[in-house]
Amino acid sequence: MELTQREQEILEGKTGRGAQRCMEILQAYGECYEARRMIPVTSVHIAGNYPVLMDEGIEWLEDLAQGGTKVSVYTTKNPEMYDFEQAEELKVPAIYQERQGRIDTVLRSLGVTLTYSCHHYLVGNVPRFGDHIAWASSGSQVYANSVIGARSNRDGDHVALAAAVTGVIPEWGLHLTENRRGQVIVETERLNLEGFTTADYQAIGWQVGKMVGDKIPVFVNLPADSAIQNIKGILYTLTVTGAVGLVHLVGITPEAPTPEAAFGGTVGPLDRISLEQKDIDQAYIEISSSSEDKVDIVIFGCPQCSIQEVQEIAALLEGKKVHGDTELWICTSNWVKTLSKRMGIYDSIRAAGGRIVADVGAADGPHLYLRERGIRVVAINSARGSYYAHGIFGMDTWFGSTQELVQTAISGKWEGKL
Amino acid sequence: MMTIKAKPVTRGIAEGEAIVSHLPISFTGGMDPNTGVIREPGHDLEGQSVAGKILVFPMGKGSTTGSWQFYAAFKRGNAPKGIINVKAEGIVAVSAIITGTPMVHQLENDPLECINNGDFVRINADEGFVEIERRA
Repeated sequence: MELTQREQEILEGKTGRGAQRCMEILQAYGECYEARRMIPVTSVHIAGNYPVLMDEGIEWLEDLAQGGTKVSVYTTKNPEMYDFEQAEELKVPAIYQERQGRIDTVLRSLGVTLTYSCHHYLVGNVPRFGDHIAWASSGSQVYANSVIGARSNRDGDHVALAAAVTGVIPEWGLHLTENRRGQVIVETERLNLEGFTTADYQAIGWQVGKMVGDKIPVFVNLPADSAIQNIKGILYTLTVTGAVGLVHLVGITPEAPTPEAAFGGTVGPLDRISLEQKDIDQAYIEISSSSEDKVDIVIFGCPQCSIQEVQEIAALLEGKKVHGDTELWICTSNWVKTLSKRMGIYDSIRAAGGRIVADVGAADGPHLYLRERGIRVVAINSARGSYYAHGIFGMDTWFGSTQELVQTAISGKWEGKL
Repeated sequence: MMTIKAKPVTRGIAEGEAIVSHLPISFTGGMDPNTGVIREPGHDLEGQSVAGKILVFPMGKGSTTGSWQFYAAFKRGNAPKGIINVKAEGIVAVSAIITGTPMVHQLENDPLECINNGDFVRINADEGFVEIERRA
């Protein structure tokens, strides 16, 4: 790979050991994919929080920050473990508060903007069409490529951080136009999409992710006015079962106004997936991991709930009470929490026995201490949340629609399918 | 003994017993860094440890945080010694890069066909080949 003089100097350590390590990572990464050069990035997002970093990850970050290493590109951060305003009330164990303090300190020292949000594109990290970016967080990465038309590979956190510090990324994969052409046709015309919930759209994503692996799927018959929650339902789930970085949604994705545009010219003899209702039913069987009726917690927000989603839950809860043996949590960004206070729904949800928690996601951080106080059976309206809550934390999970989850919170028992 | 040419992702040499999966792996959620055991329900390696083995699988998938979980597994002695992928997905590649784990991909012959569980495998990522001795 050819490096510019500036990149070569970083690699030689002239701008510090931290930046040098970052360039070493990027050079090895670029050579693996036969990148010809590095290109500048305009936006970075990093993902890992304490449950995945563990102590070793914090040490890795602290080591990187030694000597005053700083990001040189606007960089935001995914959710963390707990809502700082509710730490006492939720009895978050001291050890996690201490670890979180170290993470806060090291990220601040690196110059990362502490958004603690996975809908960072709703709170200020908004790339433009065609921008080269390095977004970790597989769901938002595929969102950036498929909805915004910015260009990011499925970069792991270490690559994204290295890009943030050096300001560049190897030019390979989805940064190059020729690698953004659709490879597999996905037909949904045999499904009755009109009756589909957002959970059903996630079931589509679950199945298509398994079928396409790392290929680029092209959805040819989704309505162009599909609700953003349903689009996110497909995109955020595909990246759990597959290694998908870009999805063309014809009529929605900026690069795919037509099927021909999605395939970069003519539509050749491509693989074709035609989904049926039985595929959707099968996904539900695979996503849920629990078999117990009694539900300990109903949790929303993987990815973090938008204000519209919070409003939907608040409306479903109106005049109702969460069952005494069940909790209801809505995980979101601090910005949406602020908005919901302003709108009066923060208090109304509280009065119904639920709570809004900021700076966390429903798939990860909180399960660490929820588990410690005996919470085991989790109902969640996110397939990716179900996968990670079970896989990382060993929770028993039920997956269903928002409506089924609210009913579950009220009765204390699983009210969804199966 | 069989020798197959391969493209290096990192450098170095690793040898040991092969553990072969025919399914993609997510290091976050899919593998326990405290044991190296694959814990994804229904995975073909579910319940088996990849620690200290040469891990052969098609490619990575899932969360981009996988490189943190791999790093923690590595520091705790529970990571595989070497990795052979059909195709290096970015998160697996950077996991190998930050831990210095010898890794190759794009073999001349399909590693999932040529390597069986229990075979003795040597990855030479310096020169770009894999040696396989049948044990199973």
